[in-house]
Amino acid sequence: MARHVGEQKEEAVGAVERKMTDTVMECRDLWKTYGKIIAIKDVSLKISEGDIKLIFGPSGSGKSTLLRCLAMLTPPTKGDVFLRGECLTRGSVDLNKARARIGFVFQHIWLFHHLNALGNVELALRHVLKLPKNEAREKAMQALKEVKLEEWAHHYPAQLSGGQQQRVGIARALARNPDIILLDEPTSALDPELTGEVIDTLRDLAKKGTTMLIVSHEMPFAREVADEMIFFDEGAIVETGPPEQFFTNPISERAKKFMARLIKRTRRE
Amino acid sequence: MLTGVFTTLSVSILSFLLGLAIGLPLAFTRAYESKPVQILVDGFEKVFRGVPELVMMLLFYFGIGLYVPNPFKNAFFTATFVLGLRSAANQSQIFRGAIRGIGEEQMVAARSLGLSRLHSIIHVMIPQVFIFSTPGLGSEYALLVKDSSYAFVIGVIDMMAITDWIRKGTGDTVTPYLLAAFLYILLTFPIATWLDTWGSRKKKQLGL
Repeated sequence: MARHVGEQKEEAVGAVERKMTDTVMECRDLWKTYGKIIAIKDVSLKISEGDIKLIFGPSGSGKSTLLRCLAMLTPPTKGDVFLRGECLTRGSVDLNKARARIGFVFQHIWLFHHLNALGNVELALRHVLKLPKNEAREKAMQALKEVKLEEWAHHYPAQLSGGQQQRVGIARALARNPDIILLDEPTSALDPELTGEVIDTLRDLAKKGTTMLIVSHEMPFAREVADEMIFFDEGAIVETGPPEQFFTNPISERAKKFMARLIKRTRRE
Repeated sequence: MLTGVFTTLSVSILSFLLGLAIGLPLAFTRAYESKPVQILVDGFEKVFRGVPELVMMLLFYFGIGLYVPNPFKNAFFTATFVLGLRSAANQSQIFRGAIRGIGEEQMVAARSLGLSRLHSIIHVMIPQVFIFSTPGLGSEYALLVKDSSYAFVIGVIDMMAITDWIRKGTGDTVTPYLLAAFLYILLTFPIATWLDTWGSRKKKQLGL
């Protein structure tokens, strides 16, 4: 009984906080189809300032497509995307300006091969924000410092380990101080022994209150930092809730089965 | 002979640069633009790759030059112009291969930062396109040096023309041609090889 009251209280506090904070990114009734294939089916979600939401689900379920639609890297077929209340899917919005406010971290990293770490981070500061050279360099170094790579600033991607490359990828996404960072399985292309350093970097970002939407299957990390987890399957949201709901008692049968498989795999590792 | 070498080099280098200036945008047009534009570019490439440069030079100099004497009655201009357009068609193909080799990923990553398409092309694609294109660009340059010898037919005083004068003047039909052959090799291979080496070294450094 006492526990129940406590929970209610927590919920009430949460509600007040949520009311006060702004919605950073939102999508409403989002669809993405490729001919007859439906990749995203009527997805709506909302991310508030400082929120960390984590999407997980079977591969090929459309998680990456959803992230790309949110960043308008792929135009959605139907539905709307909002960034700080501004609709990106209708009218004549300058999408380059919108994308400048959305950080994106790719599963396969995709650093610019011909630029060193500093050059990778600096590029958008120079040519999107149009900062003068010195200021751009300073900001880029600051971002590299945040991912603990300032000593590697002058190394090319090919000279860095996978984990270091992905940290540069994160620095590149966050150097512009975007409103939100979208991360598409940032650790799944890395060797298992390299995921730790990337997870540590993300944990640091979480502590600083960075707004993030992360696709990931790193379950201990999810449990630790996510405000909400979203189980995604066959292009649609199946179940949403706090991490504890998924770890102790998922509601939907599909989430239950998936969690069981994931936890088994994590134990094996 | 030295003026001949200078003229041959001028025609080759200028047409190479003209080919670069036109070929690079053509390659990106074919990679990213709509179908009708692509077909237009494809047509241009087919014409200039298919018709021998000698025919083109004669057509522009004697044919079109008859009606538009300025600038086509200028042999140096016409030679450079024709070779430049031919080179644009070739270079466009070389660059297109490089764009394909680099793949969509680099472009998507650039766009995700908020860079416009043009900025992405300039800052992310073009530097890498050059690195990937070096072997092809080297042979394209060598080809231009050799093909610039056709220009003597429409009256450009290049290495070929001077070789011919020497032959006529001395009656020697061996030495002048051997000398020309040697000079052509000297003008082509050092630059082509240098480009190739630079490209391979860069590729190795960047892990491409």
